[in-house]
Parts: sequence; C-alpha cells; structure tokens
Amino acid sequence: MRRLSLVVAGIDDTVPAVRRLVLAPADGGELPSYTPGSHLVLDVPSGAGRERALANAYSLVGESLHPSTYEVAVLLRDAAEGAAGGSAWVHGLRIGDPVTTMPPRSSFAPVQPATRHLLVAAGIGITPLVSHLRFHARWGREAELLYLHREGRGALVAEVDELAPGATEHFHNRVSVLARLRDRLLEQPIGAHLYTCGPTGFMDLVVAEARAAGWPASRIHLEHFGLDDLDPGEPFDVTVGEQRFEVASGVSLLEAMEKQGYAVPNLCRQGVCGECRLDLGPTTTGVWHRDLYLTDDDKAAGGCAMACVSRALPAAGGRAHLEVLL
Amino acid sequence: MTSTATAGAPHPPHYTSVPGWTREPIIQPADPVGRVHTVIEVVEEDPAATGLVVAGWVGDLDGRDVRHRACTDTAAGVAALEADLMAAKVGHRVLVAGSAAACLAVRAAGVRAGLADDEMAFGVVSVGTRTVWCVHCSVTTVAELALDDVVACSGCERSLLVYPHVSRRTGQHLGFMVDAEET
Amino acid sequence: MSITHPAGLSPTVSAPDLVTGFPFPFPQETYRYSTNVEPAPGAVPTPTGQWGEAVVDVDSEYVHELVERAAILGRDRSRHAWLPHMDVACWDAMLCLMRELSLTRPEAMALTVLEPGVRPRYHWRNDLLGIDHTFLLGDPSTLPDEPLAWIAAQVQEDIVLLDQRDGVLYGDAGVVTFAADWSFGFDVGMSFLEIHGPVPRLHGEGIITRAHEFLKRLQPGETYRRTNWTLTIGRRLDVSTELYPEWGPDRDAVLLLDDEAFGRDVHLRVEVQHLIRLPESGAVMFLIRTYLLPLVDLVQVEHWRVRTADVLEELPQDLADYKGVAKYRHRTAAWLRARGDAGSAVAG
Repeated sequence: MRRLSLVVAGIDDTVPAVRRLVLAPADGGELPSYTPGSHLVLDVPSGAGRERALANAYSLVGESLHPSTYEVAVLLRDAAEGAAGGSAWVHGLRIGDPVTTMPPRSSFAPVQPATRHLLVAAGIGITPLVSHLRFHARWGREAELLYLHREGRGALVAEVDELAPGATEHFHNRVSVLARLRDRLLEQPIGAHLYTCGPTGFMDLVVAEARAAGWPASRIHLEHFGLDDLDPGEPFDVTVGEQRFEVASGVSLLEAMEKQGYAVPNLCRQGVCGECRLDLGPTTTGVWHRDLYLTDDDKAAGGCAMACVSRALPAAGGRAHLEVLL
Repeated sequence: MTSTATAGAPHPPHYTSVPGWTREPIIQPADPVGRVHTVIEVVEEDPAATGLVVAGWVGDLDGRDVRHRACTDTAAGVAALEADLMAAKVGHRVLVAGSAAACLAVRAAGVRAGLADDEMAFGVVSVGTRTVWCVHCSVTTVAELALDDVVACSGCERSLLVYPHVSRRTGQHLGFMVDAEET
Repeated sequence: MSITHPAGLSPTVSAPDLVTGFPFPFPQETYRYSTNVEPAPGAVPTPTGQWGEAVVDVDSEYVHELVERAAILGRDRSRHAWLPHMDVACWDAMLCLMRELSLTRPEAMALTVLEPGVRPRYHWRNDLLGIDHTFLLGDPSTLPDEPLAWIAAQVQEDIVLLDQRDGVLYGDAGVVTFAADWSFGFDVGMSFLEIHGPVPRLHGEGIITRAHEFLKRLQPGETYRRTNWTLTIGRRLDVSTELYPEWGPDRDAVLLLDDEAFGRDVHLRVEVQHLIRLPESGAVMFLIRTYLLPLVDLVQVEHWRVRTADVLEELPQDLADYKGVAKYRHRTAAWLRARGDAGSAVAG
C-alpha cells in the first residue's frame, strides 16, 4: 500500500483536548486532492505504552482541492477508557516530526444529486462534515448544520460558522439538538440527504428521528469512523486446523491469532482495508462482522470475516465459535 | 479465475434494467415508514383491478396522510405526480397502480424528479403493453408486446427487436433493427 | 504512403505507431469474460513495441479521430449526455484528463494551477490543437464549451462518468461517439449493473457484481485498466446501435470479399478501458479507448496471428453471438491460419 511521507507543519491546541494538526509533504511536493468527507489513516508507531503499531483514521478538515497540507483535528482519548494510544501520540507530536499516512480514503462523500444537505454533528464528529461544508460553499449547494458540542470545547466552531454563515446552529445538549432536528427533518425538500457523525449512541438517535419523520434509508448517511472504540464483545473460541484457543473479551481475533504465532496480513486493524480477511469453515456458529469492508452479500454468505473487528456470534446452545481456514 | 458456467440461466432480476413487475403483475407493499403517500391510480383497461390495489394500500396506510390521485391515462398520472412532488418534503412516498407501461412512465417521472428507489412502489395489474423506443429514429411505438418480440417502428417502419433493456429516465424499452444484417 | 516503417516490419496499412502501440488483448489461448482489472498505467511490451504507458494515449490518429468525434456529435447530440447533478463530475473529469494529457505529452500540453483556493484558476495549453486558455473552476462562462464536451474534443477516449450513491454506480454522464454495439444515449442514467444486463454469462459467473464492488471501493488517485475486444469490419470507430442499419449488413457482405479485401477490411478491435476515481465529485471515470488493427497488419506478428486464430476458433457460441462476430469469426480464423506459410515479419 502506497504511503505518504509528511511532517508536522502546524499545531493548534486552542480547543481543550482537541489538537489540530497540519501535515505537509516531507519533500515539499504536491499532495493528492481528496473527496470531501475523506479520512487520513496515520501510522502510529509502537512504544510509549503502545504494545503494537496502530493505524488511526482521522477525517480531513482542510481544503480538499490541490491541498498544500492535510489537516486533521484529533480528540485526546483516555487510556483509562480503553483508548489504544493513537490520539495520545498525535497530541505528543511536535513541529517537524515525521508522520506517514495512507493516501486519503473516501467513504462518506456528499451525495451529488442531493437538492439539499442536512448535516448533524456531535462533538469531534464535526470533522468530516467540515469538508462537506467546504464542498457545498464551493459549488453553491444548499446545506445546513446542527452541531452539538460542549460550550467552549467545540472543535472547528469558527470554521463552520464561516463556511455556512446563517446555516449553522450550535447546541450544547442532546435534548435541544434532537428537538431542533425533529423540526428540520420535516422541512427538507424531497431531494435532501441527511449526514450524521458522532458517537454511535447519538447517531442512533438521529437515525431514529429521521425514520420517525418518514425518511427512507437511502437518504440517511452515517460516518462511523474513529469515534468509538469497538464494543469489547464476549469471549469466543477459535479453531485453526487442529489448534484451539480462546479470544477474550476486548481482544480481537487478529491479536489472538498473532499471539498464537499466526502471521495474518493486516493493515488498518479497523475493518476498513480488507487485508485481514479470513475464510471460515462450516462449524462456525455465526459471525458478528462489524467491518466496513465486506459487502452485505459476503456477510450474508457467512464464509469469511475480518480478523481485526469480527467476532463469533453464539449458536442456540450459547457456544460461540469460529473455524478459521488458513 | 475459476468459474462455474451457468450460461443460459435467467438473469437475476436485480442485474437487469427490466423491473420484475414488467414481466408479471406484482404488487409491492406500501412503506409504512413514509409520512405522506401519493397514490397514483392510472385507470386504463381494468379499473376493478387497479381499484383493488389502491384499496389494499390505503387500508395498510390507515391513519397516514394519503393523497389518492385517480388518473385516466399515463400522461395524467405523470402530471399528478409532478404536481404532488413540487412542494414535497423528504418522507414522501409514491405508489403507482396500473399497467406496467403506466408504472414505468410514472417511475421515470419520479426518477427525473429525484426520487430514490426506496421511495417508490408499484402495483401492476397487466404487463401486456410495452413502449419501445427506436434507437435509429427516436420515435416510440406502443403495442401489445412481449420481451424479444418484433414490432414495426411507427416512425421509420424498421422491424424492431424489443430488447430486454429499459431506461430509468423514460421507462421505454430499447428497440433496434432486427434484420439489419440481412442484405 | 510516404510513411517509414520500423525495421523488420513489412509496409503496413496502418501508420507504424498504430502497430507498435497496439494493445494485443489475448494473454491466453482462450477467451472468457473475467474481472480482468490491473493497476495502471504500466507499459506492456509487445513483439512490436509496447502499450499502456499512459492513461490517455495520443497517437497519429489524434486529429483525425477528434474531427470524426465532432462530426458524430454534430449529427447526433445524444452521444453527449449528462444529468444535472453531474456538473461537478464533469469539471472533475476535465481537470483529470488535462492532467493526464500533460503527462502523456508534456512538450505539447500543460495544466497549470494559477491560483489555488476555494475556486482555483487554471491555465490550459494544448499545442496539438492550438488551445491556450485560462479558466476558473466551476464558472462555465470561462470555458468555450461545457467542460465535458470541451475535454472530449481533446482526447481520443470515449468518457463515461459514474455517480456513486446508496451503494450503486450510475452512468449519469458521458461523451461516447465510438461505441461498440451499444447506445450510450439510451443507457445514460442506468446503473452499472443494469447497463450490463443484456451481456451473456456475466451474471451467472458473478463477474459484473465483482467489478461493481471493485469500482465502488476505488479510491481517489487509484487508476486501473482492463481490455475488451471484438472484430469490426472497416476502420469504423462508430459502430453504435444507433447506426446498426448502416454497418450491420457488412457482417454478411464481408463473407463475399476475396481474401485480399477480407484481410484489409476485417479489424481486431481492442478497447483499453481506464477506471479512475475523481477526487472532487467522487465519481468514477470510465475511459474507453478504441484501437483498430486490420488483419493484414495483425499477421505481421506471428504470435498475434496464431493466438487470434486460436481464440476465435474456440470462442463459445453465445459469446461470439454477443460480440457480433459469429458470422465471420471462422473465416477470420481460417484467413489467419492460411497466412502461416508466408511467415511473419516479427516472431512472437
């Protein structure tokens, strides 16, 4: 996989716990343009409390067309709450430090035929929607933003006010943003699309409101990226040929297999890149896929799983088992 | 690459541009999630059948905002849809009852107006009539036709094969000269 | 003809660069549909030269084919179509093609960003067509034509732009003047899967669904390519369904030709298709470049002669029917076989 060599060219720590990082090409060359809503996957080296190297995805918040730099805004996550240490590493970077990344990846683009775009962000979930707003400003698209954040701790507040003047509303509690959303959902012209990014629980509420207002699934778009750590899940057991071992809660199948000495190709470790796809045998009880890579058809067929995020689902008897075919 | 040869097997319906409801009369269910429902009833040769379809939907949508538009032909159906969609909000669904040809034409108007596939449902009562667009002269011919039939173009008089290929934007079947290679 | 020929090749009907750059499409002795995509660009050596070094190829037919495209568009506007939401994709495609052209012909073409920013200003120079122009992104009044039409008048490739929404790719814009037996004007607005609905074998073997999944995951900056092929009678680029009454009779008439005329008239037609994810709109750009080589030139290469005959003889009947070669593929194969004794100029 191609990598970009970048250096830290700017740091903005104005907003508490949110670091805005400006990355420039190490060789001074050009950076590829990217699709609004794209994210950058940063290589986070092991060490300093990180058992292994990480690949953390952060939404790009700067100019997407002929960018001279890539910009991300990273919320510091608490190790005590299960964070693996990627955000702490970002918050420890200094000007001039090298950073390698994958080229930007798009999975949350604005819908081109939309006649209007309703954006709903919570907390650091504002980040992918900022580049949406840039796109809408450039091409004269109608957009409005409902943004929930803690007072004085909102990321990119000035930016969104500037990008969508008169079309941004700020909220400081869930009840008020959801009440306003309920009204706005009823007022969108038939061609409108809804985009939401924030904690999973918040996005679930947004989707529930949209469905209650009659919105069809094709007009509702969620960005799951880099927000919540995955549910640690229940333990399950695995067979690889003759060998049998258990995967504990909070440990991924990929990690468990690596501990057993299996070299499983992998890249993003977040269910995105598809590198760690494993074939499964018929004694598998069921798969909780959780990845963003496999198609619905792949998932329905049940013959494969992504080692980094997928877990076994229990059968009727309660036993949860994956048969891995190497 | 390994492959299992299944040549000659019928195309799974979701790979083709020909909706399943134009091959056989199918009545799709109303989407109960929708907040407002426009029901376009194109009453042509079989008013009783379309009436039953509409009654079924209206019953299923009891208590919802249902706007029933009874139309005497396809053009009126398209006009009624376009009028209803002018000020429509997201949450609106469109249901069309009538012949497959009427449903295709109204669907095309819905597609042009920006409706998504999950905002439209169709209740088809007959599939005999098809609209064929001549790729050579751009004139359309309407007739009782099955897929792969041959029909004389009402514009250029060429013998057109009714190809199993339907435009989303127009609801018409592709027709091309069936005997062009005969010298 | 006053053209010079590379050493080892007999005088050819086609200009030399059409032989040395011909993308011979048969890596195997038999042909079946497959999801035959590979990263691009990348040079592929052939017995006569190579192909594939550029995404957008400019050859000695450049001006001639662009004149032909303009004439076709003048006769039939349906070959250029776009749905209103494809405006951004059309600008995106134009910029991408200008960048590719300047990589292919840096001495003659250059795209320069004069002022970056929200609405960048660019300078475009195409010496081959005498174009020197400055424009503002998204401002149609700064272009001499619609962006897609303008750039289509500067590349030999046909262009289809696919919009991706709700997990489906839709062919919502394009300029297609050199279609091989399909009607772009009819298909515009259909999904990628629907467009391929009539093709035999594709579905049962899952080829087109895999291609669709692959395309949906294509990321900006990633470019892939595949080839496709058929036979065409005469050096006729526009074998669209629209003109079928015009070229359809050739399929019978060709059988009446003597061997010399047959070898000059029957062409191996190869499409090199590039697949590019455009950054700003997120659309997938599908470029279709058509190459035609008459049998008389094809047999200059022994490997091409034998391999083409092998493929044509073995081709299953349904594929031969769909490709429109059923009536004359065996005569073509026999013609190629019969040229074996004379020996070819270039060993395969």
